[in-house]
Parts: sequence; C-alpha cells; structure tokens
Amino acid sequence: MTDTIAPYRYEIAPGRDGFAPLVHAEWTKFRTVRGWVIGCLAAVLLIVLLAILTGSGSHTETCVNGKCRTGGDVPTTGPGGQPVTDRFYFVHQPLAGAGSITVRVTSLTGEILPGGGVAAAAGSSGGSNPPPGAVSAVQPWAKAGVIVKESTQPGSPYAAVMVTGSHGVRMQDNFTHDRAGRSGAVSATSPRWLRLTRSGSTLTGYESSDGVTWTKVGTVRLSGLSSTVQVGMFVASPPYEQFSQHLGGGSGSQAFTIAGGTFDRVSVQGGAVGTWSGSQIEQGDLPPPAVGKFQQAGDTFTVSGAGDIAPVVGNRTGTIERTLVGAFAGLIVLIVLAGQFIAGEYRRGLIRTTLAASPRRARVLAAKALVIGTVAFAVGLLGAAIAVPLGERILRSNGNFIYPVSSLTGLRVIAGTAAVLAVGCVLALALGTILRRSTTAVTAVVVVMVLPYILSVSAVLPAGIAQWLLRLTPAAGFAIQQSTPAYSQVAAQYTPINGYFPLSPWVGFAVLCAWAAAAAALAAVLLRRRDA
Amino acid sequence: MKASGEPGIQVTGLRKRFGRTQALDGLSFAVRPGSVTGFVGPNGAGKSTTMRVILGLDSVDEGSALIGGQAYPSLRHPLHHVGSLLDAAALQPSRSARNHLLWLAHSQRLGVRRVDEVLEQVGLQSAGRRRAGGYSLGMRQRLGIAAALLGDPPVIMLDEPFNGLDPEGIVWIRGFLQSLAAQGRAVLVSSHLMSELQDAASHLVVIGRGRLVADTSVAELISAASGGRVELRTTARSEAMTVLAHAGATVASTGPDALTVSGLTPGRIVALLSESSVPFSEVSPHRASLEEAYMELTRDAVEFRAATAEEAAR
Amino acid sequence: MRQALHAEWTKLRTDAAIAWLVLASVAPTVALSAAVAAARTAGSADLDTTKLSLVGVDLGQATVAILGVTVIGGEYATGMIRTTLTAIPRRIAVLATKAATLTAVVVIAATVAVLGSLLAAGLVLPSGVPLSLTAGSTVRAAAGSVLYLALIALLSLGVAFAVRDSAVAIGVVLSLLYLFPILIQAVSDQDWQRHLQQIAPMNAGLAIQNTVHLRGLPISPWSGLGVLAAWAAAALVLGGLTLRLRDA
Repeated sequence: MTDTIAPYRYEIAPGRDGFAPLVHAEWTKFRTVRGWVIGCLAAVLLIVLLAILTGSGSHTETCVNGKCRTGGDVPTTGPGGQPVTDRFYFVHQPLAGAGSITVRVTSLTGEILPGGGVAAAAGSSGGSNPPPGAVSAVQPWAKAGVIVKESTQPGSPYAAVMVTGSHGVRMQDNFTHDRAGRSGAVSATSPRWLRLTRSGSTLTGYESSDGVTWTKVGTVRLSGLSSTVQVGMFVASPPYEQFSQHLGGGSGSQAFTIAGGTFDRVSVQGGAVGTWSGSQIEQGDLPPPAVGKFQQAGDTFTVSGAGDIAPVVGNRTGTIERTLVGAFAGLIVLIVLAGQFIAGEYRRGLIRTTLAASPRRARVLAAKALVIGTVAFAVGLLGAAIAVPLGERILRSNGNFIYPVSSLTGLRVIAGTAAVLAVGCVLALALGTILRRSTTAVTAVVVVMVLPYILSVSAVLPAGIAQWLLRLTPAAGFAIQQSTPAYSQVAAQYTPINGYFPLSPWVGFAVLCAWAAAAAALAAVLLRRRDA
Repeated sequence: MKASGEPGIQVTGLRKRFGRTQALDGLSFAVRPGSVTGFVGPNGAGKSTTMRVILGLDSVDEGSALIGGQAYPSLRHPLHHVGSLLDAAALQPSRSARNHLLWLAHSQRLGVRRVDEVLEQVGLQSAGRRRAGGYSLGMRQRLGIAAALLGDPPVIMLDEPFNGLDPEGIVWIRGFLQSLAAQGRAVLVSSHLMSELQDAASHLVVIGRGRLVADTSVAELISAASGGRVELRTTARSEAMTVLAHAGATVASTGPDALTVSGLTPGRIVALLSESSVPFSEVSPHRASLEEAYMELTRDAVEFRAATAEEAAR
Repeated sequence: MRQALHAEWTKLRTDAAIAWLVLASVAPTVALSAAVAAARTAGSADLDTTKLSLVGVDLGQATVAILGVTVIGGEYATGMIRTTLTAIPRRIAVLATKAATLTAVVVIAATVAVLGSLLAAGLVLPSGVPLSLTAGSTVRAAAGSVLYLALIALLSLGVAFAVRDSAVAIGVVLSLLYLFPILIQAVSDQDWQRHLQQIAPMNAGLAIQNTVHLRGLPISPWSGLGVLAAWAAAALVLGGLTLRLRDA
C-alpha cells in the first residue's frame, strides 16, 4: 500500500533562509500580547509622570525680609550659557586692537580665612573650619596670571595664562577650556614669565623661565571679541572645601581663601597704554577680608584676590537628567516584559515550538534581543523626549535654574537613556534565558542596575565604594545621562551624590554593554547546549 | 526517487540517558510516506523524548534521527519539512490562535493567507481571533494540528493528539490523519492508548523502556495476536469442553456460555460438536483487538503498572 | 486550619527552589554588610555603625521579595492553585496559611542573615569603631531588620495574590521599594522629601535600623516599620479580595 502512493512534496517555494523572518516572527509574538503593549505604554507614562513629580517637588524661592518670590538668584552665565563663577581681583587697563601683555610672576601665596563664610554642605552634619596648619595654605587651583577679557562684566569672554597653586602653568579661556603648560610651583628663584597676545579674535599664550626663550602654551579664538578689551593681571583663590560622604549624609568644611601674587617686569604693547585700575569682579557675599586689592611699586605689582574663574560644578539640582528619574521606573517595567518574553516561553513549553520552527538557536536569541531592544529603545526615546522638555518647563516655572546643554548633549542624554533601557532589556533577556525563570531574572537585573545607583546617590555608601559600584556594575550605564562634565581644572566633589559618575558617559555605557554582551554570549551557549 | 534523501523519518540507534534513567536505549525505526504510523508505548516509554530528538530539541548520546535524509537542525524553514505538535498547552494564553499561527508563519516566510487556510482546515476559523487561553483542550489540539500543517510539510508528527478530544473529535482526527497519509505524507502519531489508534494507524512502532518492542503493520500484529483461536458460544459448556479437549484442543472458558478454543479450525469444531450432538449457537475465528495485541506485546515493557491492574491480568 | 498549615509547610519544604532562595537571601546580605563595614574607615564618631553593618538588608530584601512572590506566583503559573483551592476551599485560609508559613521561613532566614551581618561587621570593622551587639538600639535595629524582611515578604505575597503573575508581581514590589529612594533624591523641596520618606516602604521601614541622630529622622524607627506594615497589610487585603472575588 505504501508503494502505490508517491511521497508528498510541498509546493510552497522555500524562500531564502535568513534572519529577517525570525525578527518578523518575534515582533509578531511581541505585538500580539496585549499586556505587553500596555506595559510599553505604561512605561512611557511612568517616565513622564516621574518627570512631572520631580518638577512639582522642586521649588526655588528667594526670601527677603519674610517676603518670598519664586526663583533663585540668577547665576552668572558664561559665553556658553553655563553658570560660572567669575570672581577674582583684576588689575586692568583697556587695550584697543592688537597688543600683548608680558609679566614675570615671582610668587604665589595663599591663606585660609578664619571664622565666617563657612557654609555647611547639603546633607552634612555640620561644617567646621579646617584645623590650622592641617592643609597647605595655597589652594591647588589658586591662580595668578595675565588675562584679556571682554569687559569687567562677570561672565564676559576671556583668555588667560596663569600660574597655579599646584598645577603648573595653564592657559584657560571662556571658563570651560583648560590647557596645561609647564608644571612646577613658582618662587623667587624659579619665576615664570607669562605673555598673552591678542590679534583680532586670536589669543596666544606663551610662557618662559627667563624671558628670552618662549614656549607657546596655546592659541584660542574668542569669536565676537570687541576691538577694545580689558587687559591686565588677576589673582583668584577658590574656597577650601573638604567633604566626606558616608551613611546618611556627610560632613564637610568650607572656608574662603585668599591668594597673593607678585608680578614684575610688567609691560603692555599696543593700543593706548593707560593707567592701571583695580576691580573686584563679582563681589557678592565675599566677606571684607577676602576682597582683593593691589599695590604698585614701579613695574612690580602685588595683587591679592579670592574666588575663581571657572564653571559652577557639583550641583545636581539644575541638570536636565534630573527630569529622567522615571527612566528607572520605565526600566523596571521593560525588564519585566523582557523577562517574560523569554522565560514565559520556557514556563509554557512554547520555547519548543519556537526552536522547532527555528532550529538555529543563537539566531532566535539574537532576534528576540533585537525586538525587545528596539521596543525598549522606542519606549525610552518617546518617554525621554516628552519627559525632558516637560520636566524642564515645570522646573523652570518653579523658579529653578536649569543648566543649558548643547543640542548634541541633549540628544545624548535622551537617546542615551533610551539606549540604556534597550541594553538593560537585552541583559534581562539573556538572564531570562540563562535562569529560565522570569522572577529571578527580573530581580537580578533590577539589583545590578537600579540598586547600585540608589546606594550610590542616596548617600548610603561611602563615596569610594559608591564610585566603584558605578564603575563595575551595569548601573555604570546611567553615566550616559550625565549632562554636565566634571572639569579637571575645578576642584569639587565629583561624586555620585552630586550627579557625577566615575566613568565618562560613553565608557559607562560601554560597561553596561559589556555586561549585556557577556550575558548574551553565555545565554547563547547554554541555549545551544541545553535540551529545550 | 527524486528526493534528496529517504523520505519520511529515519531513526537509527538512539541512546539518551537522563541521570540514572536510560530514556532511549538503541531505538531504531522508520516512518514511511503514505501511511499513518502509530507510535505506541506506555507512559514514560520514551515517545516524547524520541519526538523531541527528531525535532532537534533534545540532544542524544548516540544515534541519529533524519528527516528526508537530513538532520533537523540543518533544515531551512523546517516547518516546510516537518509539522509537529508536541504539547497543545504550549501557548501564550493572552495571544489569539490566529496570532499564534501568524508568528509561526512569519518565521517560515509565510503570510497571513496560509494562516487562515489552516485555521479553516481544522475548523477553527470562527474562533481564531479569541484568546488561546480560553480554549478547551480539544480546541488547543486542533490549533496544534493547524500549526503542524502550516508549512504544508511532507512529514507530520503529532504527540498524543487524541488527548482531550470528544468522540466526535476523535473520529474527525482519524479521518484527517488518513487523508494526510493518502496525500503521500508520512504521519507519525503517538499515543499511550492503543484503542485510540484503532482504525487510524496502518503501521505501528511499539516501544517500551526506550527500546523497540515491535515495528509491524496493524494487520500482522492482530493476526499474530489472534493466534488461530476460535470463539465458541454454547449452552452446554462442560460437554463441549470434554469433546474438544478429547480431540486435542486447548479450551478456555471466557464466560458463562463462551469458550475460546485453540488448536482446531472452525470447520473441525463444527464437525466435532455436531457429531457429539453438543448444542452451540456460534463458532467464529477470534479477532484480537488492537488493545489486546498491544497488552500482549508490552507486558514486559510496562514500567508503571498498578498492582491491581497486575492482579487483574493474571 | 492546622492541616492547611501543614500542607503549606510541606509544599514549601519540598520545593528545592525555595531552599535555594532562602540561602540566597542570607549570603548576599551578610556579604554586602561585611564588605561595606570593611571599607568603613575609623572616621568621625557620629557615623551610624549599626545601620552601616546592616546595609546588606537593602540587597537581601530583593531575594525575600522573590520568595514572597514565588510561593504563590508559581502556583498560578502551573495551575496548581486550583489543586490548592480544591484541597482548601476557604480561600482566605489559603492566604493566611501561606502568609504564616512564609513569615516563619523568612523570620528564621532573616535572623541568620541579620546576626551574620552584625557578627561579620564586628569582625571586619577597624578597631576603635564602636559596635555594641548588646546595646538597646542595636538590638532594636537587628530585631527590626528581621521584622522588616518579614513584612517585605508579606507585601510581596499580597501583591502576587493580587496580580497573579510572578514577573509582574516582582516588578511591582521592586518598584515600590526602589523607586521612592530615587524620587526622593530627585526632588529638592525639603517637605516633599520628608513626606516621601515617611510613606516610602523601604525608606520608612529601614528607619528601624537607625541608632544615632534619631531626632533628625523624618520618621521614628517604630512608626517607620508601622508604615511598611500598613503597605504589607494593604497588599494582603488587596490580594485576599482578588482571591475571593475572582475565579481561580
């Protein structure tokens, strides 16, 4: 009987075997479970909702004599729009057109001012003055040098060449840019010659140890610089700060400092050479002993000054990523979906149907990762694209200052958040494949991605441990949300509690990717080796 | 033969061990096109494991399982080569039946049209858009069969498709399987209940404890189990027993007025009884049921037999 | 009721995964506590050494949450819940017995974990850092941490009964625990922060671990634990209602 019937041959022309059908199948699987689609919408809503909550729970008010108004002191902003400290003592004269200033710096000294002016850091258990003699009096970033500045208006463009307390010669411009020159401290026996030339919008800094042989430190362009600018000498000394973070807060001490610089062989070429006048730029809350002054004896100047010319750092409250705390909520929802996307198949035996339809198992895993990763990216992108402008608006209307960011940085923060959610989901998918239980997989991902962040930013752990956690665990990926960079030329608490990750945005993201890749590789090996 | 390899399924020397249990112990058999092959054995005999091995889901310690001469993992768009139903409950409950088939179709570069075709073939077209979680077991079996048909494959393999079907459903599936075989497909259907396969399968592969017990056609098996015995109905039981035993036959009493006789042809029995004037109402050759034949075969192979069942068998 | 308890205990005892989870809730708790304590330098005296030594609870609670979710989520996944409800038709009794056996198991595991954390911290803390295991406040922090973990397990159980899917349940529980601290960090208004700390299950509940600066806390230790108890009770009521009103 079997001989009489010809074997059956199917008539559907087989298409080329490829990855695309797998992705198509996994996408169909995902979109046809209504609970998962609802979960995606819920994730978007949560991201937005938390941005609204964050904005609503943050007000800045200024109260004078019991009368309060929304809004804080408007911070000085630099040419890039970022808040800056522009406080220093300036001995200056106008310079019209091209020209240069040359000085020799023979000393830079410093002093920590006793008594008042100590501000307790946030969450601290009380400020105190540093013990006398416990620290070097010259602050590492105390500065004395020559500067060309648009005007004496705080925040106006500038370029400067300077000697520093312990970072050698530097050339800095417009608050955020810093170039290193020769290292070493300055003294009477080892003076530094500094020269700054202006030609149009080009400023070039030089240094020399003898006034004969000159080395170029750097060239910068300050576009839009007026033809008449202020040229001269300046001294600044940032406040002394010490802060230690530990369980439940931290303790810190802070004090004003003042530095003194001695300049001689001062000469200005070009323009109409006038007389020197001294100005304390941005006096603000500076106590009288910290207000700078200068004395002239021939071509020797003794200048003292407090403050700093630098971007404002160490303040998390004004960053745009604060509107993205909802990313953690979105992440948890998406991780649950990713866990169910694979572990649910194991639970119901559906994985056998999947693997019988597509015997190349690593490809199945890759298709699933692509689908869940893309879904998570889309959810994150939509959520963040709504949350950031909305949260910013609410924060602003509640009187908060928001650090402006370049559109590229803004894009990185928003798309980066989406990418972190996507890679987090791939990690969850891989762990779901390895563990074959969604509960354990979901918890594992939350514990490695969310918990280290909480422990680090909520001052539960000492700063050192917190930084290591955010270097080594997948939570490092959230570094991609950090919109304000850490400036090496500003001494500050670049700790997680202040919004600074120990790794740069892309390196942190790479750490997360490395974890996800390792987990995915292990998952692929196990998926191939184990019986389904 | 035009095919690239042997059509159907070719299983050779499968061995697989789960911890201390030898699940498959040198199992070999073939499933040929054009007929329905029943795959029978008691629970735990290794049927499902064998099917998972054929589908490349489980690895084996030794041996091979080929489909049309190819190992399953090397197949491109495998659902065009083998359609299978392993576990009708393996569904995402909140996904509709149609969408379940749709993702499977997409994985094989098939479209929604094919999905609607197979839904209609198994009679689920009206229920296709309902959540699969709300399906009865019988509907899930139909859905599983629809999934097996999706790629229009020359080989179809179903694990316990009769489970949960009502009598109407069982009749439907028997006819359906035979029509598939009549189209020249190789059909392998497992069951732990031989009676389900009666009138459905024409060939049988019987296994027990991971070993092949029998690989035979249904007709041969039944005639072997029948063993030339004759059923006799008579009101004079003892007289008939005396007469027949005297003539050298083995006689067993199977009821108040029924005897089973072996060693004599029906004609000879009629002659003997007539000679001795023993009354009888019926003489017919015994035809063993598939169930009986199977019980005979697997007596040694049954692993988990309840004590009461064992006593009843004695 | 006694048979029901016995049945639940047998189920818990014979599930190998549960045994692993219990172990997994103890080991990381002790390990994290010891690691943090070891990194603690002998600095200012106003540090809360006891709380620091119990920081592992922040991690261990995740495993306890899995435990709480698994004992019921697993039954819904496999359909065993129907068997359970057939054997014990009084559904509230099912919830009560599950809660009782789960609490017993978690209290034992948590006691081991908390004592282990304190002892490990005592061993690795630099000399000169005070950690008195018998001081009243330390005893309160330790006993409170055990209760905290038990309440987390009950919260998870209630949520799992309410949502009937272990993955979703664990997502809900971990969100309740971990999202509040993040939101508290993000808002800048002091009264928002204080109110959030007063209602957040994790922040309020862990107030029980504080042994210094009690006046400055947003919520007192025992009332904080009370807040968590209220969350757990609400979850159990919700779970109980779902169990009663919906078909299994």
